[in-house]
Amino acid sequence: MSLTISVASGKGGTGKTLVATALTRILADQCPLIIDTDVEEPNAALFLPVSNLQVEPVHRLLPVIDDDMCTYCGICAEVCEFGALTVLPQQVLVFPELCHSCGACAGLCPERAISEENSLIGQVETGSINGMGQLVAGRLNIGESLSPPVIKAAKKKQAGADLTIIDCPPGTTCPMIEAVRDSDYCLLVTEPTPFGKHDLALALEACKLLGVEAGIIINRWQGEDNGIIDLAERFGTPILGYIPFSFELAKAYAQGQDPLKAMPELGGVLERVFRQIKESRS
Amino acid sequence: MKEILLLSGKGGTGKTSLTASFVSLAESCLVADYDVDATNLPILLRPSPVSEHEYSSGKKAVIDQEKCTHCGLCEMVCRFEAITDEQVDNLACEGCAYCSRICPVEAIDTLPQPSGRWFEGKIHPDRTFFYAELRPGEENSGKLVAEVKNAARLSCQQQNIPLLIADGPPGIGCPVNSALVGVDLVVLVGEPSISGLRDLQRIHQLLKMREIKSILVINKYDLQSDWAGAMEKWAQQTQVDYAGKIPYDPLFIKAAREGKTPADYPDLRALIAPIWQRILEKAIGATGDGCLSF
Repeated sequence: MSLTISVASGKGGTGKTLVATALTRILADQCPLIIDTDVEEPNAALFLPVSNLQVEPVHRLLPVIDDDMCTYCGICAEVCEFGALTVLPQQVLVFPELCHSCGACAGLCPERAISEENSLIGQVETGSINGMGQLVAGRLNIGESLSPPVIKAAKKKQAGADLTIIDCPPGTTCPMIEAVRDSDYCLLVTEPTPFGKHDLALALEACKLLGVEAGIIINRWQGEDNGIIDLAERFGTPILGYIPFSFELAKAYAQGQDPLKAMPELGGVLERVFRQIKESRS
Repeated sequence: MKEILLLSGKGGTGKTSLTASFVSLAESCLVADYDVDATNLPILLRPSPVSEHEYSSGKKAVIDQEKCTHCGLCEMVCRFEAITDEQVDNLACEGCAYCSRICPVEAIDTLPQPSGRWFEGKIHPDRTFFYAELRPGEENSGKLVAEVKNAARLSCQQQNIPLLIADGPPGIGCPVNSALVGVDLVVLVGEPSISGLRDLQRIHQLLKMREIKSILVINKYDLQSDWAGAMEKWAQQTQVDYAGKIPYDPLFIKAAREGKTPADYPDLRALIAPIWQRILEKAIGATGDGCLSF
């Protein structure tokens, strides 16, 4: 039975990439696939020995107006819910940053004067992690706004993998939803601060909406939970593990070094987390 | 009016704690939180609400099952895989209404959905603070950022306040692009690590494209002083002004627990005040060499 675990958080900087890449390391014998869907800031590859990187472009469709066929009737602008088209007496203006590539303008133009052309918005990188499986990372081009199409393209590379770990973007809106959707389990990484707690509540809510089972791992643990245990109980979500606060770990991780060497007990923590996730699935 | 926005690319570098500190140090300012996905500035500033406004990011398709003839056209045209067997997946639907317009029997309506709220609040001492909450699972956070920004900028003008200080979202995408509109100076909050530097470089490239000035603050510099050095060097090479550095301090977390800002503690205030001064000078453009030079 295949298993897909997404690693998400709500708040940024809680340690999603640390957990996702360290999990990949300890599960190396199962040849996992790690997908970095934090396409605005893809960093997973910085923390794993990746080689043979292949790059594929990601496009999305944008409307192109044929001036010879256009009668400037204004229907395209009328049907665009996103305000991405404006029709002037002799010209149609397209605002790519507002376009959602839904195709309504092209499909509903009575003159068939609108076609759609590919526009480059990012790339998907695929590589092998030396002795540890595969890595796929989406990367949004700088200046582009829409990350979900790049996340979708990265996730399409999942086909056939037995064990997939998804490193998710922060937040709880469309990019995070796109990343966590269809996972078997969502591992939420939080920190025991009021910020961590506030954003964890939103992430738990998002998992509920998606119908994805969730578990919590508390990072930078120093013995004070700041209300996180209460919050977890309220949602009926288990706390699967604690990663102690450690300057050594922070320093090693900052340099892209193997966190399991800087904090030997991290491996045990993550193995127990993984075992609990497996048990909850059976 | 000048608008200063804090950004970092990477999350968790300390944007919110620094924003709150700058607000505490500024003589006169209006405040906004553009991180509508994970609104954390109110945790530190504890505003008392003045007004509350409903926000709808867009519409969602609703299918009238009695009118539906199961022709499947809606499912065919939907690019978001939001319709399966005449059922709408609200989390996937982007509200483009293509389905509703193409349905031959007019069985599909698109209805506005409440997706969040934005607030005007007051913080001590009699300052106005705009912030918002987007519901989990919603989209178009950039549009809500624009609403908060418009309200904040209008209020600045009406009250004749010279400065707007805003906390930004992580990343480089939709909400960040929206947050950057009209900004005079971006304070880049860097965390000294391989990913902190990578993300800073990406956000800086975006600022260059949009011709927006920036100034760097390195936070938690002592967690990894080698990378802090690399970050300083990068700033020098790319001609990003440097406002100063702040060590890792557990008081940042204590402040959050107590609803204070780090600058409410005297030692941290003494450390952050000169950094704020350099940022302010750069924003006003009053002095040409107000920033630390290398």
